[in-house]
Amino acid sequence: MSTPAPSRQSILDRICAATQNLPQGASTYAELPRSYIRHGKLGAQARLELMIERLREYGAEVAECAPEEVPSAIAAQLALSGRRIFVAPAGLPADWLAAGFDWKIDRGLENAEIEQAEGVVTTAFCGVADSGTIVLHHSPSEGRRVLTLLPDWHLCILYASQVVETLPEYFDRCPLPPPLHPSDEDLTLGTPVVATYISGPSATADIEMTRIKGVHGPRFLNVILVRNED
Amino acid sequence: MSGSSTGHSVLDPRFAPPFPAAALPMLRNAQLRKNVAHATDVIQAKRARLVAEKSDWQELRSAAAAIRSHVLENLGSYLEEFEAHCTAAGGTVHWASDAAESRAIIIDLLRREQAGEVIKIKTMTSAEIQLNPALEAAGIHAYETDLAEIILQLGEGEPSHIVVPALHLNRSQVREIFARRMGLKDLPDDPQALTAAARTYLRQKFLTIPTAISGANFLIAETGSVAVVESEGNGRMCLTLPRALITLAGIEKVLPRFADLEVMLQLLARSATGERMNPYTSLWTGVTPGDGPQRFHVVLLDNGRSSILARTTERQTLRCIRCAACLNTCPVYRQTGGHAYGSVYPGPIGAILTPQLMGMQYAQSLPFASSLCGACYEVCPVKINIPEVLLELRSQVVNQERGQAARFGDLMFIAMKAANAIFAGARRFRAAQWLGRIALRPFTRKDGWIHSLPSLGAKWTQTRDLRGLPSQSFRQWWAARGLTSSLSSSKEGR
Repeated sequence: MSTPAPSRQSILDRICAATQNLPQGASTYAELPRSYIRHGKLGAQARLELMIERLREYGAEVAECAPEEVPSAIAAQLALSGRRIFVAPAGLPADWLAAGFDWKIDRGLENAEIEQAEGVVTTAFCGVADSGTIVLHHSPSEGRRVLTLLPDWHLCILYASQVVETLPEYFDRCPLPPPLHPSDEDLTLGTPVVATYISGPSATADIEMTRIKGVHGPRFLNVILVRNED
Repeated sequence: MSGSSTGHSVLDPRFAPPFPAAALPMLRNAQLRKNVAHATDVIQAKRARLVAEKSDWQELRSAAAAIRSHVLENLGSYLEEFEAHCTAAGGTVHWASDAAESRAIIIDLLRREQAGEVIKIKTMTSAEIQLNPALEAAGIHAYETDLAEIILQLGEGEPSHIVVPALHLNRSQVREIFARRMGLKDLPDDPQALTAAARTYLRQKFLTIPTAISGANFLIAETGSVAVVESEGNGRMCLTLPRALITLAGIEKVLPRFADLEVMLQLLARSATGERMNPYTSLWTGVTPGDGPQRFHVVLLDNGRSSILARTTERQTLRCIRCAACLNTCPVYRQTGGHAYGSVYPGPIGAILTPQLMGMQYAQSLPFASSLCGACYEVCPVKINIPEVLLELRSQVVNQERGQAARFGDLMFIAMKAANAIFAGARRFRAAQWLGRIALRPFTRKDGWIHSLPSLGAKWTQTRDLRGLPSQSFRQWWAARGLTSSLSSSKEGR
């Protein structure tokens, strides 16, 4: 081990000495004030419209379809993109892999192979309308983190039933304590082991605060919102 | 990396000149002031708009302040909880008492990885421990991957802001640096082209350099997870592609539970960049088989933090989530930019954090680099009462100086002592007024203003005029009103 134990102990000792004489009545976790808004007030339709509006403000493109139209909607988006080579996570439904394109299915693809793909198609865990955020928990159909990172174009299939209005509502959907030895099953049930929150395509404003879309992450984010709720 | 002619980083508080001296050249640099004013105006306007649309902004601030305070009051147990969960998930946790120990741990880990090069996500903590020069000395080249950090690294400059470190440079200055260092003679100066140049410059490095260093925005005790908040995707590259990852984090960065992010993430991006949410937030837990780095180390850094924790008023400094909203709103920072602070942490938060991290031995001019207007407190998402801490630190600095024998020959010290005595008695005060009127008469112009004073007085008059003393004091005027008028006014008062 490269860490000599003394530093660990001396730091914890200093922290202990610094905090042991706190005035009592110091807060317990359960008592912390949480009077911020947990649940949104929008109806289903308005919530989806807000999600779409916020995504578009980031420069993402949004299409909509009915549940039975997902394969054809994907095919249409792929054709519109003018791209040919795509990667797909291994858990993506087989009938979503539209004919006429080169598909690389991720069963341990090398980074260099993923880098050569022009786009990627995935599902998502959740969408947060308030901030236009797409949440990936990297389940088998959402793919490893690298899949949605190297290709320049990301098509994400988001179901209406996955869209919540507020960020706390997303956290309400991750109720379980995290598994220490994650399996795929845990990933779909509990608190994520790895997660990525995506709000629009990659961007920077480092030069004169001018927002530039597309730095290292995907420069294009496309979303198909599947209307599986009335 | 950059440095002054003495070989020290200009942002090393141990060698930086006092704030007033460091600020002067900044105030005379019209281009710098224009760049800083433009950038801070843009962020402030965006922030104000997005904060206004959150009807529960104050409730979020209160919750965030309470969570962060609670963490600090129970820091030891939350750190141990984080360590246990991170370790169970395949990570290795290291503890570093100071900057030197953290540098040694990181260099040792890199040697085990046989790393000659390393890719880095922007981390102010690594600047705090002056990691890059130490890596260079150990024969390891660090590639900064955040656009602003690339600009600074290639231009051999220093960060002047916590979130937008190169905001003191404009597009043509950036173009000049990129054209020279990347060998791109025909590079245009629009931000789109400059950003594209950075993307090309780094792409191969991301794909080939197998070791990365990151900071952390949050450590989650409940899960052992780490969160990094960013915009460009360079963070995701560094967190995903390499075989080994080293994360450097201050011990104060812990949050109790995963769900506490629901508060912090609503506040952070809005405060920092004026966005509803930053483009990318990455969360990972130890090592995930088949996904991302397979060797993961966290270095927990104390470096003065535990001593801040011990002090009641100053403890709130450690609630900071590094959004830099206080910099953007500060009337002092907006005039001087960040370099005058002589620290990687500039602005109001730097003015309280830096001297404390230095054990109140250096950077003692910083608590005075403020007008105490309170704007920083108002925008702080975790409600750090910066003016309150500034005052506390000022009194500590003055108390230290009082104890120093050398101060007894100091004119300011004598003047303050004298003022203390004069204000203690009405007769002494009257006499001082009378003396002052006579003494100031030669300096007072016909229009009643004093334009220049000698000695101590020059500290005031070199930047602004002083009103001359009126020929009659308020007390004299009051006394001259006569007995009858004072009686009638007291009757009216009944």
